Amino acid sequence: MIRFRALTKQYGPLEAVRDLTLGVAPGEVYALLGPNGAGKTSALRCLATLLTPTSGTAFVNGIDVREDPLDARRRLAFLAASMGLYERLSARELVAYFGRLHGLRGAPLDARVSELVELFGIAPFADRLCGRLSTGQRQRVSLARALVHDPPALVLDEPTLGLDVVSGQAIYDFIARERTRGKAILFSTHRMTEVELLADRVGVLRLGELVAEGTPGELVSSTGQENLARAFLHLVGGAEGR
Amino acid sequence: MSAWRVVCAKELRETLRDRRTLLMMIVVPVLLYPALLIVAEQLFLFGARRLEAEEAAVALLGDPPPDLVARVEADSALRVVPIDGDAEGAIRADSARAIAVLGAPAGDDGTRAVTLLYDATSDRSSRAHAELRAVLGEWRDALLEERLGSRGLPGSFAVPVAVADSSIARPDEVGGYALGRILPLLLVVVTLLGSFYPAIDLAAGEKERGTLETLLTAPVPARDIVVGKFVTVAVIGVVAAALNLGSMILTFQTGALQLTAVIGLEVSLSLPAVLAIFATLVPLAVFFGAIFLGIAVGASSFKEAQNALTPVYMAVLVPAMLPVFPGIDAGPLLSLLPVAGVAFFFRDVMTGQAGVELGLLVLGSTLAYAAAALVFASRAFGSERILFGGGEKAEVEPGGWIERWRVGRQVRARDGVVPSRGTALLFVALLAVFFFMGGIQLQLRLGEAGLLAAEWLLLFLPALAFVTAGGFDPVHTLSLRRPRATGLAGALVLIVGAMPLVWVLGWLQTFVLPVPWEMLEGLEELVTADSAGRLAWLLLLLAVTPAVCEEIVFRGVLLGGTRELPPWRMLLLNGVVFGAFHLSFETAIRFLPTAVLGTVIAWAVWRTGSLLVGVAMHLVNNGTIVVLASTPGVRELFSDPEAPPPLWLVPIAVVLFAAGVRILLRPAVRADDPHPRTPEP
Repeated sequence: MIRFRALTKQYGPLEAVRDLTLGVAPGEVYALLGPNGAGKTSALRCLATLLTPTSGTAFVNGIDVREDPLDARRRLAFLAASMGLYERLSARELVAYFGRLHGLRGAPLDARVSELVELFGIAPFADRLCGRLSTGQRQRVSLARALVHDPPALVLDEPTLGLDVVSGQAIYDFIARERTRGKAILFSTHRMTEVELLADRVGVLRLGELVAEGTPGELVSSTGQENLARAFLHLVGGAEGR
Repeated sequence: MSAWRVVCAKELRETLRDRRTLLMMIVVPVLLYPALLIVAEQLFLFGARRLEAEEAAVALLGDPPPDLVARVEADSALRVVPIDGDAEGAIRADSARAIAVLGAPAGDDGTRAVTLLYDATSDRSSRAHAELRAVLGEWRDALLEERLGSRGLPGSFAVPVAVADSSIARPDEVGGYALGRILPLLLVVVTLLGSFYPAIDLAAGEKERGTLETLLTAPVPARDIVVGKFVTVAVIGVVAAALNLGSMILTFQTGALQLTAVIGLEVSLSLPAVLAIFATLVPLAVFFGAIFLGIAVGASSFKEAQNALTPVYMAVLVPAMLPVFPGIDAGPLLSLLPVAGVAFFFRDVMTGQAGVELGLLVLGSTLAYAAAALVFASRAFGSERILFGGGEKAEVEPGGWIERWRVGRQVRARDGVVPSRGTALLFVALLAVFFFMGGIQLQLRLGEAGLLAAEWLLLFLPALAFVTAGGFDPVHTLSLRRPRATGLAGALVLIVGAMPLVWVLGWLQTFVLPVPWEMLEGLEELVTADSAGRLAWLLLLLAVTPAVCEEIVFRGVLLGGTRELPPWRMLLLNGVVFGAFHLSFETAIRFLPTAVLGTVIAWAVWRTGSLLVGVAMHLVNNGTIVVLASTPGVRELFSDPEAPPPLWLVPIAVVLFAAGVRILLRPAVRADDPHPRTPEP
């Protein structure tokens, strides 16, 4: 469903992602870990067709992101760490706008917007401008925006960044629900607790390279550490701040 | 609805909810602008009337006759005050606003001198001066009449010719003329401001808020996004311009301004004139919108975009101000100049002198510039480097800026680094400014020696210091390689062929550009030697010096720093910058030939990898001009720029030029590196 094949991304002399190969199956949640500057965001941006890989490629639902980026976008929901909401549009207008960009029109668009407003509990503030929403409310609107076209693959770049416990739990519930709906979910994070809670498999990036991959339990046992956080530190030790 | 319309509809909706844009688009033109004009006018009139109502203290020194004193005292605007001695001190102390100092009485036939002292920097003193001058004039006329009467002559005896002015321009034409001086600049500026903030908001603002990344994950081509945004900016710019135009016309034409009536101006623009102005404002707004959008998208924040666009804003003001200056008429060339063409067209429409041909030329060229700006904006939106910067930001090196510079210098020296394009261009730009200002001073003070000093002190030394202090690799930056004999020979053949062709180009230019005769005469005088000593000096001053000093800057630093560009852009840029460096308003005719020569030399240096080749070509070109100008019999051949070059020379030049190109296209012309370096992986 989501697949990286020998993907490399360079910025001038800097190799942000090196020869990355990994896959996420339908109904699977995959957590991408790595210290700051490890190349997580670059890898996810390549998958979301925001960046062009220097070599190699990635596939979304079998679509090569290099050959047909627009079609790949139709099959992918991308949630950036910044959320990206238009401050002067209401929550409802924002979701509808992205629905239109995905080709929805008329009654089907209205129905989908209403469905998402209901699903994410947006109704009480659906007509409020996004600039006046709380962080948790903004995150819910972002999720509704990302899912407006109901794609089979989800990419979430640090989805719980800056959220309180309640809002974070809403994200966990959302990921769990989408997994049961058969979505392939790839997310990056720095929080080990949510990895242990949600991820079926984990990949660890260090200086752009995938240095370990497996279930959380496999990573802990293969490194001989007592928990996932220590296993992670063991794998990436001294690699931060590139 | 196509994707760009979806984007445009959303952008318009958001923009109309933005108070800042609404303020600039509607409130400023519709309310603030006429209000400011009216308030400013009222303040002006209030001040003027207050001045008129005041009595001005004046004094008469030098034994004034009683009839003059009586006349001054009879003037209700003036009050005579006594002054003790120092007249100038009295005016500075505001004891008197103006003082008439009378000379010794001149008898029946003589002339009595009267000096009027006043302070030209004071409104009150200037007014007192004018009033006192009028009274003195009346006194003079009365004395004249008295003299003529005593001799039995009529008053007309002293006035053999009476001259009176009578302008054939109707008040509305005078109004149009006055309006045509000010309004084009205002219209261009408000159109620009109308696009300024929306462009920043829709490009850099979107990046700053993090929404651009989200938008680009939608299955919409970047082209549709840029078109949608561009249409929004253009629509807002056009609406703002239309509102401004309407507001200005209403302010002037409805009689809201008393000043126009006071000074006898009648401002009225016909409907076709208003429509013609509006029709030209549309492509202008489109041009501004596209160019601002393309630049703003490269900025990562609203503030950064403002900083990036402000120089563009300032640069636009220069051509927009041209119609303000007297004596500059719109012709085909000026009509093709971006922004200036529009400003001149507005002026001509307002003065009723606009022609259809020039109007169409302005409209067509502005549309072409708008299309080019749109392509530029589209490319900017399609570039991931511009949208996301250089990727993940490199960590700032520790220490102060001196430490960072020192470490960077060591790294650059070690890795054979050349200056970046931006650094090289900034250096050349700064150098040009200092050379322009400092060079003029040196030439004014030292004459020809100043010119020599300017080249070595303000071009050669800074270029050398830039490369050395910056830690750049001198070999790669300045192409310091010994040329191969074939390369040098090819370059010399090339320049010998290029010189007559550039002459032809210069001659062709005289059909469209005015010839600055005075400047050419001065130049001819400068390059012409009448003795062997003078010839040697001129060769040093005008051939050797520029060949070394200008080559190190243009084919050295500039060419070295722009190598990352595609070759044709690098060479063209080099020629254009070289041409611009030699440019001044009266020497516009020199730009194209110099730019072409610069491009040719840059190509030869690029092909051969040796700056010495450029120095040799420059030397041959300038040296030939000095030698030919100093050779009687030959000088006359090219002293008249409007005279065509000899026809027999052209085919020879073409053959030589082609031979030079052919030689330089050989791979064997490339010079070897003195210290070959392993290329970076």
